[in-house]
Order: sequence, then structure tokens, then C-alpha cells
Amino acid sequence: MAISLDRQTVSIYAGAALLRLLVFVAFPDLSDFLGSQVEISTPISSFKRLQEGLFLYQHGLSPYDGGVYHQAPLLLVIFEILPSALVFVALDILNAVSLHTIANNLDIPSRRFRKLDGTLIAAAYLFNPFTILSCLGKSTSIFTNTAIIQAVFNAQSGNPLRAMFSLAIGTYLSMYPGLLLPPTLLMILKNKDQPASLASLVMSYIGALAALLSTTIILTDGFWDFLSSCYGAQLTVTDLTPNVGLWWYFFIEIFDSFRDFFIGVFWLHLVGYVGGLTFRLQSQPLFVITSLLGLFAIFKPYPSIADVSLYLGFLPMYSHILPLTRYTFIAASVLLYSTLLGPAFYHLWIYAGSGNANFFYAITLVWSLGLTILVGDTLFAVLRDEWEIERPEMKGKSVRQI
Amino acid sequence: MFRSVFFLVVVAFFALSAAASDYFERLTLTPLPLGSLLASFDFRANETITDYESQNYRFFPRSLGQALRHADTKELHLRFTTGRWDPETWGARPWNGTKEGGTGVELWAWIEATSEEEAFEKWSTLTQSLSGLFCASLNFIDSTRTTKPALSFQPLGRYGDGDQTLHLLHGVLPGEVVCTENLTPFIKLLPCKGKAGISSLLDGHKVFDASWQSMAIDVRPKCSSGTEPCQMEISQTIDMVLDIERSKRSRDNPIPRPVPVEQLVCDETKPYHSQEACYPRDMVDEMPWSLKEVFGRSMAGVCPLVESEGPEAKSVCLNVPHERMVLIGVSGFEVKSDPGLPDSRCYQLMPLEEFDLELPQQTLGGKTDLGHELLRAERTITGHGAARGGMRTVFTNPSPTEPVKFVYFESLPWFMRPFMHTLKAQITQTEFPFEWQTITDMYYRPAVDRKRSTQLELVMSVPPASTVMLTYDFEKAILRYTEYPPDANRGFNVAPAVIRILNDTDGNGPSDNIYIRTTSLLLPLPTPDFSMPYNVIILTSTVMALAFGSIYNLLVRRFVGADEVGDGKIRGLVKRVRGVIVALKDKVAGKRQKVE
Repeated sequence: MAISLDRQTVSIYAGAALLRLLVFVAFPDLSDFLGSQVEISTPISSFKRLQEGLFLYQHGLSPYDGGVYHQAPLLLVIFEILPSALVFVALDILNAVSLHTIANNLDIPSRRFRKLDGTLIAAAYLFNPFTILSCLGKSTSIFTNTAIIQAVFNAQSGNPLRAMFSLAIGTYLSMYPGLLLPPTLLMILKNKDQPASLASLVMSYIGALAALLSTTIILTDGFWDFLSSCYGAQLTVTDLTPNVGLWWYFFIEIFDSFRDFFIGVFWLHLVGYVGGLTFRLQSQPLFVITSLLGLFAIFKPYPSIADVSLYLGFLPMYSHILPLTRYTFIAASVLLYSTLLGPAFYHLWIYAGSGNANFFYAITLVWSLGLTILVGDTLFAVLRDEWEIERPEMKGKSVRQI
Repeated sequence: MFRSVFFLVVVAFFALSAAASDYFERLTLTPLPLGSLLASFDFRANETITDYESQNYRFFPRSLGQALRHADTKELHLRFTTGRWDPETWGARPWNGTKEGGTGVELWAWIEATSEEEAFEKWSTLTQSLSGLFCASLNFIDSTRTTKPALSFQPLGRYGDGDQTLHLLHGVLPGEVVCTENLTPFIKLLPCKGKAGISSLLDGHKVFDASWQSMAIDVRPKCSSGTEPCQMEISQTIDMVLDIERSKRSRDNPIPRPVPVEQLVCDETKPYHSQEACYPRDMVDEMPWSLKEVFGRSMAGVCPLVESEGPEAKSVCLNVPHERMVLIGVSGFEVKSDPGLPDSRCYQLMPLEEFDLELPQQTLGGKTDLGHELLRAERTITGHGAARGGMRTVFTNPSPTEPVKFVYFESLPWFMRPFMHTLKAQITQTEFPFEWQTITDMYYRPAVDRKRSTQLELVMSVPPASTVMLTYDFEKAILRYTEYPPDANRGFNVAPAVIRILNDTDGNGPSDNIYIRTTSLLLPLPTPDFSMPYNVIILTSTVMALAFGSIYNLLVRRFVGADEVGDGKIRGLVKRVRGVIVALKDKVAGKRQKVE
């Protein structure tokens, strides 16, 4: 990761790290408060639940023989050794550095594309309020985010094995990064510098995943408990704690006889985007990954603002398509509106008692809709940009889709 | 003729008295401060194990015996409790708390089985049949309400051979409302069935009008070390604290009315005392009462199955000082306790004759010692909001010299997720100068959603004259909307905690145990909107369809310049309509021009 350490870069990284550490030290209660917000920590990324799992693990009980802990055992080992605040800050910085390098090396075949300044991309990630809040709230989603960023970074810089290993870590931690396998493979195979065969890549991914899963057997007894508690909880959405996604209220209210059917439909819907996007945007696998991350942040079972922060970390690399977007104002204002009203409505429902569950549910709908507009709009812009490469004379003219 | 009838009666009498040693009943009445009366009914019956095995039931109720045999239950404890025992006014608990349960219904049993699964299957059989037998919702004790305490309970029975594998299972229904329909089957298990003996005093209107009542059924095998055969013992008890004044209200006129002015007893030392203002004086005299007034009926003689001679024959006992005046009819014979023992008197009754006793109003000098509790425990839920909260239990050891050691047992419903890493026991108030470790051992089994409840057992000790506060945080789960009861916003009942005080001085004598139960708690959970399933399905599906539609719309279509293709359907239609309008306009305008 060769990044030039000029004054601006150093001040951005140091500033971001200092900001986080300062809050951790000066306002220790704030971290607990943020960690208890449903927008930041979900049942599968809550730090409090991780501490409970760690408590059980340290006392010789299986953390998976219970309904509280749904995270991977590797995290237990990490937090058993390292202080939590430093881990979260370090991972945020690592993510920013990786994004910085990805942006520096990025070359998009478009006439609008100008060479990116990685420092700005890193700053956009580090000072994004969603990133800061999820770091301070100690959402363990950041481990998955790091794994995904590392996979992209290694795929781009020509380390196919490391990329596959990172993706396997992500899959091991929270399962859904496995869906990023096709675009990542595409990205590696498009990289002509290092020839790699598809079969060996897939095999290395599966091998890494199997190796990670087998560490569980060493760490805890009860491998099947781990599978059902860690992945079963995500697959079947047993814990219906509110979050910013669409699943929880739907599966509270769904009729019992249709529950299994709709769980299948929701997962199929999520998987359905992978093939289409990868196939249509073969020339830009990074954008496929970015768009998929945006869609996962809306439609995965337990989304949080940490997932949005990852999406918004990649999105600035496509700032050149901004002139081609159509609804940025609407998307931005809808997101702002739901960001501000979400916590308020949750408070009205849970604490004040003057609102009911529909208040918060309505806001999650608006939030999802806002993100959908953003994903759809950027997708339109990228497709249009691609089309303009074919037909440069159409620049600035109105288009129709048939 | 007359002689043969007399002979038959005599034979019957002897036959009964021969068997009578296997049945025992006693009512103990203890007046408590502030006009309360503790009435303890105790019924015990024995059956030899061989008779029990061959289903030859005499005093042991057949219905219960068959249910127990069917589920291979060796020892059973069933409790129906309402109200709260007030230790500050009423002193130590009757039976040291061993014959009471938490609010609602509590059941624990030792079941013989080869595996845990088999034990649970038999447990389900047992709860189903007991549910039918006692008209209680015991069948709702499923796996989410069943725990397997490791330290809190010990078998009270003595077992002959040690090669049985017994499993202890414990279930609670804190929300169950105990009422008359549970008392009727309870009385039916008794040999005299409420027709004679002390059980004839049991009336649902009075029992469930009490300030506190607890019905208990204990079945246990009893093997003495001697050559006597093993026996199955069933012990049924009802303890209740009656408010004398409230019980004396006649049933026809149950509405309380103000006391007439001339009957008011005023405190004349108050400065504002006058003809108009009266400050009622505390009742210093002992209340007058009689069995008939308090229980609504007098006792229908003695149950003919009890022993007619000896100390066990006295069916009614009264714990009052000897100087208290007690009036009885001719049907009873009074025996006062020997000097040196606590003051009490018992009555031997005549068969087939009604019995009543009456205590007139009287002023007594000394106060009777009611005993005190070794430990006070108070359990509350802290925090606000429907998403998370905390549990706080405060233990107070009133003894100035002795520490108290106990097992604290909690079973929490699965939708209450405790965080054990936040568990803290701190001494909040003490005069004890040394370091003290409050929690010495811990047994924890976390809940599994919709399958298992949390089980927490702590071995704790409180130093002398100190208060210990135990706290932990928990999170409230949100349920599927079909899992909420109809009154979802009332909250969910959390079972009381069970405290077993360990007696350090004596070895493992199970009878020396003292049990205390805290009150049950009400846990409010976040609720969804129950009227919305269709709306939610429609709205969420719309958002997903919008996303899927718009993205696949972009992916599968191709771009063309707007000027390169013909108009779309709608725009074409609009253009055509506009064209027609323009043409019409032109026509009209042209005509007008022509006219001009």
C-alpha cells in the first residue's frame, strides 16, 4: 500500500484517529449509548452481545448454546487479546488506507473519468458520520467491511489468493459477502497482469472458508450449535429486534404459514441482483461490487448504518458520473430526512410511548426507498456513461430506454 | 335387631381405627398482628409402597396415584399461591417456606428416566394429566418454562435403592390465576372430601379472599432405616392469612360500610379531637372471632379416619397465650401445651358433632414472638422504555452476628435476554469491616429463542447486618405478532426468584432448608401494531418491487437517443389528441373568419 505521506494525508488520518480515540476516552458512556441504538448495532453486530459471548467463552460455556451471541468465534479470540477501542479505530484507518490505494490505482475507461485523489476518498470514508457512529458504537460489522475492502483491494492489486482469503473471511463472519464472489472473480480475471484460473480461485475460496470454519472446532465444542446460531439466525431471521432494514417488521407481522415461503423469497430477491449486475456490467466489476453493497445495505436481514458507510466509502470513486445522475437531490434529502427522523420515531415508540411501531417502520421504508433511489440513479448514470463511450455524439442529449 | 346394628357399628369403628394411623389432619390457627389470622390446614396420608405399586389405594388418591405412576414420577411438589407473605408484619413463614410457591402455579418433580429426552417426555405427560386433574393451565409448562435446577432443590424423599436415575424438572406459571376451580379438585383428593373434619371449613369464597394463601401437594417416598416397608406419603397443605374483619363480613352484605359514629373508637389525645373530628385509634385489643364467623361455616365434626387417641388425634390447634379466653362447645376437649413450650392449645373433637370455638375481645399484655426471617429479598425491574432494562435484587441480612448463605435461583423467559457480563453483586450497606465475597458459585444456562428459558443459580452469602444489591442488564426481545397474548400491552409475567437458605451448621439435612420467594414481576415488551399485517406485507413488498423493477429495468433495456426513435405509446396518444384538438380549433377559427 504505497501512499504518499504528504501533510494533508497525514493530518486527515491522524485527525480521524484522534477524533475517535478522544471520544472513546472522554465520553465512555457515549460509546455504550451508541452501541445500544438499533440503527448502529443489530443482533449480529452488537458489541454488547459480543461481550456476553466472550463472558460465556471465558467461563467455559459454549457461547452458541444460547440465544444471545450470533457472531463468529474468531471475534472472541480477537477481543480476548486486544483492547476493543483500539481495534475499531485501527480497522477504520486500515479501511481508509485500502480505499485510498484502490482509488489511486483506479482507472475507469470513461472520457469523464479524471485521476482520483485517494486522500479525498479516504477522508470521505473517515469523516462520514455513519462511519464515525458505527465505529464509536463498536458495531462488529466493521470486520466484515474490512474483509470486503481487503478482497477488493487485493483483487485490484493482483493478489488473487489474498483476495479470495479475505472474501472467505467476510463470508465466515457474516455470510452475505459470499455473494460478492462472482464480481470479485471477474475483477481478478480481468486483471491481465497476473493470470489465474477460475477453478483454482474458487477452490482457494472454498478451501479458505473450510479452514476458517474448522477453527471453530478448536475454539468451541458444538460445531452445529455454531452453524445454527451464527448462520441459521441470519438465514431464518429468528431475532426480530428492530433495525433499519425491511425484514424485521415484515417477519413480525407475517402469517406463520407463509413465514418460510417469504424468507425464501426475500433471500432469492437478494441473490437475484448478483447475476444481473455482474453480467450487465462486465467491464466495471468494481461498480458491480459497489452497487451490490448498496443493495445489501437495504435488503439483507440485519442491515445497519455500518453497511451504508461501506457503500458510501466506495461510491465517491464514481464522482465523475455525478453530472449524469437525475435524482441526487431527492436521494440526499430522503436519506437526511430518515436519518434525522429515524431515532426520533424509535424514541417515540419505545420510550415515550406516544407513537407505535408503525412510526419507526415507516421511516425504515423511507430509508430503504432513499437508498434504492441512490443505487438506481448511480446505476443509470454508469450505464449511460458506458453507452456514451460507444456513441460519443450522444453526449448531453436526452435518451430513452427501450 | 338393635344389637346387630350396634355390633356392625362397633366393627366398623374398630376397622377404621386400625387403619387410621395412616391418615392425619390438623388445623393450626395463629392470630397475627393487625387483625390477621393464619390458618394452616395439614393433611397427610401414607400408603405402603407395595400397595401403591399394586394400585391398591386406600388413603392415597387414586386419580393422582395413577397419573404419577403413568409418568414414572417418584416425587412431586405442586403449589398454588396467590398474594404475598408480609414478613415484616407476620414474621417467619409457615413451614419455613417449604410449603409455598411463587405467585401462580409452581411444579417440580423427580422423574425416573434413562435419558433427559425421556424425562422431558414423561414430564409433559405429567403436566398434561395434572392440568386435567387440577383444572389449571399446567399443560402450558412447555420446554420454554421448564428448567432443571442443580442447586436449589433436593429430594425430600428417602429412596430405598440407589440405582434409579432421577431427573429433577421445575416449571412455573407466574400468570396463572389460582381460584375455586383449583380448590375443588384439591379437596376431592382428601379422604373425607370436605364432608367432615377440618376440610369442611374450606370454602372457596374464604380461601381466595385471603390476603395470602398457598395450597401445596407433596408426594414423596419414605423409607425408614428399620424393617418397616417403604411408604408413599402425600401431604396436602393449605395456608392462608385471613383478614378477620373482612372475613366476618356477611356474604349477603359484602359491601363495606362506614362504621356508625357511636361505634368509632377515637384517639382522644389528638389536639383536633372533637365531636366532628375523630382520629381512629389502633386496635390494641385482640379481635373477637369464631370459626363460624371467619370460615363462614362451623366444622362438621371430626373426620372418622383419623386416630381417635394419642397426640395425633387432636385436629384443631390454636397458638394463643394461655391467658387468652377461648369458648368451646361440648363437642371438644381442650389440652394446653406443657409449661416451657410455646403457648398453644389443641382440641380433641367428638365424631359426628359440629365444633366451633369462639375468642372474645380481650386485652393482652405481652406480644407473641412470631419469629423473623433470616433474609429479606426484594426483586424489581429497573430502567425505562420497552427495549432494555435491568434486574435488581436487594438482599438484607437482619442478623447482627451471623452471615447468611443461600442459593438464589431465577428462571427467566426466553424473550428476556440477560447479559451476564453485567452481573454485579455489591455490598451497599454494611457494618461488617472485612472483605467479603458475595457470589461464591454460579450455575448459568442461557436461553435459546423459543426453545428454552434462562436458568441462573447463584450461591451467595451476605455478611451480618448488611445489604447486598445484585444487578444485571437485559434486553427485551420483540416477538412475532401471533406470540403475543390478547392483552399484549399488560406485559409478561416473570416467575419469582427462589431463595434457598443453606444451613451451615447442620450437614445436608433437607428438612432444615428455609425457602423464600420474591414477588413475581411484570415485564412490558415492545409491541408491533396488531392491525397491520396486510399493510406491512403490501408496503414492504412494494418497496422491494420498486427496487427490483427499477434496477432490472435499467439492466435489461438499452439506451437510444430520444430523437432516434418514434414516440412511445402514451406520448404518441397525447400528440395525436393534441393534433385533433388543434385541427378542431383551426376548423372553428376558419369558420368564424369566413363568417366575418
